[in-house]
Amino acid sequence: MSKDNSRTTPPKGREALRQRQQAAATADRRVSIAIRSAWIAGLAVAALLIGVTTWSIVGARSGNTAGVVAADGLVTPASASDSGAIVIGKPDAKVTVTVFLDFLCPYCGQFERVNGSAIAAAVADGTAKLELHPMSFLDDLSSGTKYSTRAANAFAAVANHDATTALAFSQLLFAQQPAENSAGLSDATIADLASEAGAPVDVVAAFPKQAYQPWVAKITKQAFDSGITGTPTVKINGQTFTGDLYTAGPLADAIKAAANG
Amino acid sequence: MADGLLPRLRALRQSDRWIYTTMLVSALLSLTASFVLSVDAIILAADPRAALACNINAVISCGTVGASWQASLFGFPNAFLGLIAEPVVITIAVASLGGVRFPRWFMLSAQVVYTLGLVFAYWLFFQAYFVIGALCPWCLLITLSTTLVFTSLTHVSIRDGNLYLRPRASRLARAFVGADLDALFVALLLLGITAMVVTKYATVLF
Repeated sequence: MSKDNSRTTPPKGREALRQRQQAAATADRRVSIAIRSAWIAGLAVAALLIGVTTWSIVGARSGNTAGVVAADGLVTPASASDSGAIVIGKPDAKVTVTVFLDFLCPYCGQFERVNGSAIAAAVADGTAKLELHPMSFLDDLSSGTKYSTRAANAFAAVANHDATTALAFSQLLFAQQPAENSAGLSDATIADLASEAGAPVDVVAAFPKQAYQPWVAKITKQAFDSGITGTPTVKINGQTFTGDLYTAGPLADAIKAAANG
Repeated sequence: MADGLLPRLRALRQSDRWIYTTMLVSALLSLTASFVLSVDAIILAADPRAALACNINAVISCGTVGASWQASLFGFPNAFLGLIAEPVVITIAVASLGGVRFPRWFMLSAQVVYTLGLVFAYWLFFQAYFVIGALCPWCLLITLSTTLVFTSLTHVSIRDGNLYLRPRASRLARAFVGADLDALFVALLLLGITAMVVTKYATVLF
């Protein structure tokens, strides 16, 4: 039967029924193939999604997303040096400014408020890199709330994300520094200041896990073992700076001298 | 039909009892969440810094989401809409379980309104996820339950021809639902949302 024929005179009776049944069977087959393919593809995507979810849970559990985990389980911020400092600025900067501090120590606050912007400027223009040792030996002076450790932990968490943000955060912490023998800043205030400095919300939300508390304790001991006797201790290229820490000028001049020397 | 677990499960999923029970339970969950969020909205209106029970940290925080402009898109808390709409769904589900059959135009209207609600719920989810950057457990419950109510409502609409589709589209839609592909689709959607939330917030949640 030619095509023309079928178009002009429709087939009759049994022949027509047979054709309709065949067409219906073909359509059914096509639908069931489509359904089967959809199920196979769908289950594959489901397996993938479950895999991604499980993988990120396992990753978070093992702490891979929160700093560098050593064999002994110690979590170290990504931007920390072996000497126990958070390193901020260009690694090959000519001058290295090292500051040992405790976020509760009043003189550290005074030092920061006087010299903070000069140091930040030297870091920003690449003249100097800054090594901050956030110590926790004044923990007993915050009415049992361990403010030094809480602040240092938050600082380390932000530094693990981004060192420059951490510098801005430490300036804010010192700008609102609580007095000794107060309860220190609340966790909520610390979180607000970190957000204000530009730390992302997931970094801030992880502060309560206190993941860096052991690291803070370790570097505090490390600092005392290396001969540090108090804070703030400031070094320029490894040499303890003996000039006036509490008036603007001398430290900035010393950095400039070291850069030109 | 009664041989094997899978065929029996599939038959159960296609039954009125299953569909309307899912609808009922999901609508009740949605109503509960809407109620809690409405109360929270009133507390927040009185004191924007109020400590809500679900403010667990900076990320899991109903307060952060509740204080956003998106949470009162129409000038009043979105949750009020749930208080209005979910009782209607509950009524439909209970009546249908009791054997009542509603006219097609009625079910079509319910479908249209609920579809708008679903779009709104997902818009809110994406706003919270990408813009507000906080998780609100009650809002997530609403995303989940709205999805399930929508699924069961659509299941009925397609099966009973409430959508006034053309014969060919209707046949395809029925084949889709008959092969349980709607269930697969919803499962993928919910898995996708779970994956989104977990990958972004794993460090906070676990």
